[in-house]
Amino acid sequence: MQGGSLFDIVGPIMVGPSSSHTAGAVRLANLVRLIAEQPILEVEFILYNSFAQTYQGHGTDRGLVAGILGLRVNDERIRDAFSIAEQAGLTYKITPFQGANNYSPNTVVFQCVLQDGSPLSVTGHSIGGGKVYVSKINDKNVALRGDAPTLILFYKDQPGMIWQVTKILAERNINIATLTCNRNHRGEQAFMMITMDSMPDRAAVEEIRQIADIKTVRCIDRISV
Amino acid sequence: MPNFTSFKELLAYCAEHNCRVSEAALRYEEQYSGRSREEILAGMREILDQMRQTIASGIASDEKSMSGLSGGDAKRVMALLNSGSAFLGPAALKMIAYGLATLEENSRMRRIVACPTAGGSGSVPAVLIAIEEEQQVNPEETVKGLLTAGLIGEITSRRMMLSGAAAGCQAEVGVASGMAAGGLVEMREGSPEQVVNAAAISMQNLMGLVCDPVAGLVEVPCVVRNGLSGIQAAASATMALADIKSFIPLDEVVEAMAAVGKLMHPSLKETAEGGLAQTPTAKVFTQRLKGLGAS
Repeated sequence: MQGGSLFDIVGPIMVGPSSSHTAGAVRLANLVRLIAEQPILEVEFILYNSFAQTYQGHGTDRGLVAGILGLRVNDERIRDAFSIAEQAGLTYKITPFQGANNYSPNTVVFQCVLQDGSPLSVTGHSIGGGKVYVSKINDKNVALRGDAPTLILFYKDQPGMIWQVTKILAERNINIATLTCNRNHRGEQAFMMITMDSMPDRAAVEEIRQIADIKTVRCIDRISV
Repeated sequence: MPNFTSFKELLAYCAEHNCRVSEAALRYEEQYSGRSREEILAGMREILDQMRQTIASGIASDEKSMSGLSGGDAKRVMALLNSGSAFLGPAALKMIAYGLATLEENSRMRRIVACPTAGGSGSVPAVLIAIEEEQQVNPEETVKGLLTAGLIGEITSRRMMLSGAAAGCQAEVGVASGMAAGGLVEMREGSPEQVVNAAAISMQNLMGLVCDPVAGLVEVPCVVRNGLSGIQAAASATMALADIKSFIPLDEVVEAMAAVGKLMHPSLKETAEGGLAQTPTAKVFTQRLKGLGAS
């Protein structure tokens, strides 16, 4: 397994009772909020496995709602997330899924309706100690951890795409930590994920969005508390 | 620059550079995060301040958890502190009370420091803060203890997932105790070998500990286990400072713990389907909680 920060071992500072079931839930919902890029009006949380069995006692439900509202893992108002949601006009529903499935022990699927009416679906996993990852955004497989500023791109496979994107980052002196690319078939949809040491500004993201044949661009900041 | 894929590598680094484990930890974090020494030290002081606050509010509170299963035990132990009727000295009593206090605050949905997890969050603060108070240790030495605990947890986490769901309570309270034991030795300026030995002694003692939470809540037996693990860690640190050596090196202890985690039956890994969670009393409580619509 790869190394991590000591502050992920002695930390995070968080509201209890469970790093995987409470802090992990808040962090996943924080990520969904960043992915959405616009206010979330409605959200259904579909809980799987251990999340579905024990969510009430662990405050997983409060954590998820709090995270969508933008509260961080160390915020003691997580206890009051339901009443804050009511004041904020957020509609939410918690659906524990019963039955066999192939998801990891603590999985939640977010089904959101955004301000412009568009749907957003995100599949997230809490993997222990408050660490999380997102495996799916809408119908696209991703591998987002929220521990570094991350660019996620879907585009038409063709020569020169990496160069065009990384050139824009290089011009802003943004250092790339990791870069992953893959595709199913030549010339069809391809995926690129770039983690960076700093967050590109809006103009840079817009410039990337203007590159021909880029279909989806998401730029998501780190969410470590 | 150090990466430390094993404790053997850590000891070799400390020997080669003639440095303490906390210094190696600081250099590791500098390299990993790109943050300056001062920023990292400030971050660690902030973590310790939160630990002290959690303990202070925890030992003063009678409030029950949302489920009603826990709350108020830390205060009971603190009441024994000056009574003369305890079997243990004040440092040990504080370790019990501070471990309990941290887990009680956790179950009240108050602020704590996950260390390495919320379920194992009591051991490290209990030991470091109790000794800092009782033996008038300079708080900067406590920071070194915390850095050391962090690096022990980090290296361990390369070999096994630190969660009850993945490997049982040994991966939470067990690893936390190893971190606490090593951190305590560092605070008393023990050698790197003694730091690593303390963690090895502590972790082999808690190997095999199952995760069997009543009703799936982080309360029974988590609260009392965190109350006891600090004493166990301090005893391991004492043994290491007396130059008792772990026959099995820490790297192999961790490998064995990871293997035991894999062998452990799923009913004993945070599913509440085995152990204390399936006792008659636990079952009655669980049914009642469900009837109330929980939380």
